[in-house]
Amino acid sequence: MSQSLRQRVEAATLPAAGLVTLLLLTLLFYYPVGRVLSEAVWRAGAPTADPLLAVLADPFFFGVLAQAAEDPAVLWTAIEPHSLRLTVPLTDLGVALTYPFPNYRLGLFGFTAYQALLSTLASVALGLPGAYVLARFEFPGRRTVRSLTAVPFVMPSIMVAIGFIATFGRTGVVNTVLTSLGLGRIELLYTLPIIVIAHAFYNAPLVMRVTAAAWESVDAGTAETARSLGASPRRAFVDVVLPQLMPAILTGALLTFVFSFMSFAVVLALGGLSLATVEVWVYQRVTQLDYETASALATLEMAFSLVLTYAYLRYEARQRAGSPARPPERKPLFGPLDGDRLAVWAYVGVALVVFVTPMASMVLASVTGPDGFTLAYYRFLVERQTTGAAFQIKPLTAIRNSLLYGAGSLALAVPMGVLLAVVSTREFPGSKLLDTLSMAPFAVSGVVVGLGLLQGLVFGTTAFGYRFTVTGAVAVVAAHAVAAYPFVTRNVAPLLATIDRSVVESARVLGASRIRVLLDIELPQVVAGVLAGAAFAFAISVGEFDSTVILASGSAAYTMPVAIERFLGRRLGPATAMGCVLLVVTAVSFLVIDRLGEGRGM
Amino acid sequence: MVAIELDGVRKAFDDAVALADVSLSVEEGEFFTLVGPSGCGKTTTLRTIAGLSAPTDGTVRFDGADVSDTPVEERNVGVVFQSYALFPHMTVAENVRYGLRFTDPPRGLTADERVDELLELVDLPDMGDREPDELSGGQQQRVALARALAPEPDVLLLDEPMSALDARLREQLRREIKRIQKELGVTTVYVTHDQEEALAVSDRLAVMHDGGVEQVGTPVDVYERPATEFVASFVGENNVFSGVVAGREGDELAIEVDEKAPAGHRFRVAAAEDHAVGDRVTFCVRPTKLSPDANANRVTVALDATEYLGGTTRLYGEWAGREVVLRLPEPPDGDAIIVGFDPADATVL
Repeated sequence: MSQSLRQRVEAATLPAAGLVTLLLLTLLFYYPVGRVLSEAVWRAGAPTADPLLAVLADPFFFGVLAQAAEDPAVLWTAIEPHSLRLTVPLTDLGVALTYPFPNYRLGLFGFTAYQALLSTLASVALGLPGAYVLARFEFPGRRTVRSLTAVPFVMPSIMVAIGFIATFGRTGVVNTVLTSLGLGRIELLYTLPIIVIAHAFYNAPLVMRVTAAAWESVDAGTAETARSLGASPRRAFVDVVLPQLMPAILTGALLTFVFSFMSFAVVLALGGLSLATVEVWVYQRVTQLDYETASALATLEMAFSLVLTYAYLRYEARQRAGSPARPPERKPLFGPLDGDRLAVWAYVGVALVVFVTPMASMVLASVTGPDGFTLAYYRFLVERQTTGAAFQIKPLTAIRNSLLYGAGSLALAVPMGVLLAVVSTREFPGSKLLDTLSMAPFAVSGVVVGLGLLQGLVFGTTAFGYRFTVTGAVAVVAAHAVAAYPFVTRNVAPLLATIDRSVVESARVLGASRIRVLLDIELPQVVAGVLAGAAFAFAISVGEFDSTVILASGSAAYTMPVAIERFLGRRLGPATAMGCVLLVVTAVSFLVIDRLGEGRGM
Repeated sequence: MVAIELDGVRKAFDDAVALADVSLSVEEGEFFTLVGPSGCGKTTTLRTIAGLSAPTDGTVRFDGADVSDTPVEERNVGVVFQSYALFPHMTVAENVRYGLRFTDPPRGLTADERVDELLELVDLPDMGDREPDELSGGQQQRVALARALAPEPDVLLLDEPMSALDARLREQLRREIKRIQKELGVTTVYVTHDQEEALAVSDRLAVMHDGGVEQVGTPVDVYERPATEFVASFVGENNVFSGVVAGREGDELAIEVDEKAPAGHRFRVAAAEDHAVGDRVTFCVRPTKLSPDANANRVTVALDATEYLGGTTRLYGEWAGREVVLRLPEPPDGDAIIVGFDPADATVL
């Protein structure tokens, strides 16, 4: 009798855990985001389209499209050729760098899409040669480089921005080199190119990763067959290999577009309000307490990114990367310099500048003062802690908060992520619904989640006659958990999927309930994925900026990335010092991820 | 006594019917085999018995009690899969002990004693501390068997447990499985696509085809008296002929086959059942029954290919535009041979 009671309890455990996860998702994500949505479409107890229409009809947001409703003729004026180019004088350099810049009539949304498009092109251009090198050349450290392509996922965006300022800023490394060579300076800060390069820094490794993986699974036999039928090497590549890579390239490009479209910290720090994207403008409106416009903008942005993310997920689901009969052979990278190798080395040079310089410059800048080597910036961090005024950001508090929130997010995101991984790989009642609902946070930006949590939980909500409010710290942890759990899921699900179904069935046959199978048989086999996912969750929480900056404003719930942004407003030095502290924490997390989750997940 | 009974079991997947209408009963302590080509439904039938696959229609009964809605973990069955499915993160002993977490070991034994007993039974004593990946395929298979037997299941289900092993090991292990099954007297259902294996190990077998059962019987029944043309050609080699009854003499039929035989050529075939002149009949003759020494039903077969199998020779030949398979002790000289068969050696289906 007790046996069957235990079995009944165990049989109910998994659906119950699913229900709890669903509740958490609702509380931490759907309710807050719903609040943002309702702010945009609900006024004084009645539905309204006014806020959305106001945004849609404002040329500031939609440029020429906003006016076209009244006067379609303006569409023609938008494509005047002379307005499509903007020249940036490279001071003293003697050359003028010209790059296409859209007519202001594009509006905020148009500009956001435009910079995302340029960023996508740049990421693909920078990523594809890297994929070629990874897939077709053998060299010591290839596996290390391969796993380094996962670094951007845990790179705090504000830290990358600091790195770019330290590299390309007025007194940055590039200008120091140029002036010492007598070539003058270039001014890239607050221009579109630096934003595009920073987005490429972030997303090219992603393109590289997915494309290289696809390349390695192309059966060498297919290209060899084409060659034996008379195709030249180039022809065989174009006809046979490229079509097999195309889905991966498009996947990478689509993801890059979504990420660049929703990018926040990089644009805020490197572009400022003059190059604001939708995301930055939502934040700007929030800081001005104009929640209605912010919500309307957020709603439109969400609709757009949901469509793109849905397209991405549909597209990705159609791809099946199998292991090939025989992978393509790799050529040693170190060998006689032929055309191939020369091109590769040239690429390696560019890649070093783009990927290594920003972080190296940040470290360098943190110990370089006007008179050479200095520890003044680190000393500043310590002094500020002891002597700073109450309203000032205190470095140790930021570090403590970051670690605390990291641990909190991990505690929340890991069980959620693991359960959702089980849901996505196994069938039980309601698993399809939960799986679908759990993917949505992927498409909603941190700023929007932050705004929703601010309105929904921090400002308080009334339910069952009680008023619930939540402190900033709890809301920050909630936002981080929402950002982090998909990484847990993506690290665990592929491992769960590799477990032989008959292993699970054997345990069931021997008398184990579903939940016991999960605990006894499945989880022990995916421990590495769970730990890697946990490290991801921690790193993402520590680096999260977008929602934190909204939720921590005016409270003591600030974290390291928020501190960096605040310091950045004053001087670069302390910001780079704080950036280095963050770099160390992130690097340790990444080492854990790399050790445990080699080559899996995202 | 009937241990397992399937009654009108149907299983439809989204796009296909896996089981059309399967009714079977397996006796207590019997070694029962489901045999058929891949896709015939034998594994689905086994999974239905185990409770790993819910039937769309029909009933599954254990000892007369309906277990159709009993979840797998409460059916008290043991299953061995083709992939062995050992838990990779547990040692051999931990694997075998796993089922004892949910039920007490029999005869008041401790779990450790039960594990030792079973490792002894499958001839792997002292291997308890090994990791599964340190074992050979044959050893892994024995561990999987020990694990399935540890909780003393009412029914042992074996799903192609040996198809990943090489031929010699397979023959050795099937004898061992048979020995263990007899020793324990556990009701066993065995799935295989190998008809030779099915004949060798089974007390009774069911030949399955296209989601249905073609014939159930002892190995001798099924081999000697195939019920359908499918069984005749699937179990062992056979030469199947169809034709029309042209006359009868006592208990022998004279049959004019459909092949373009010389005019007036008739085969004389012994028939147990009554067939009237003009009836269509199908009969088969095993290759071993076609002999140069037989006096009746002599035909000239043009030889296409010979396979020397050691001790016997398989010959593929042509007669009247169709393939004929022969088995002779020695490869014959020449490119044609005259063989015949005794009317009593043919089987009318």
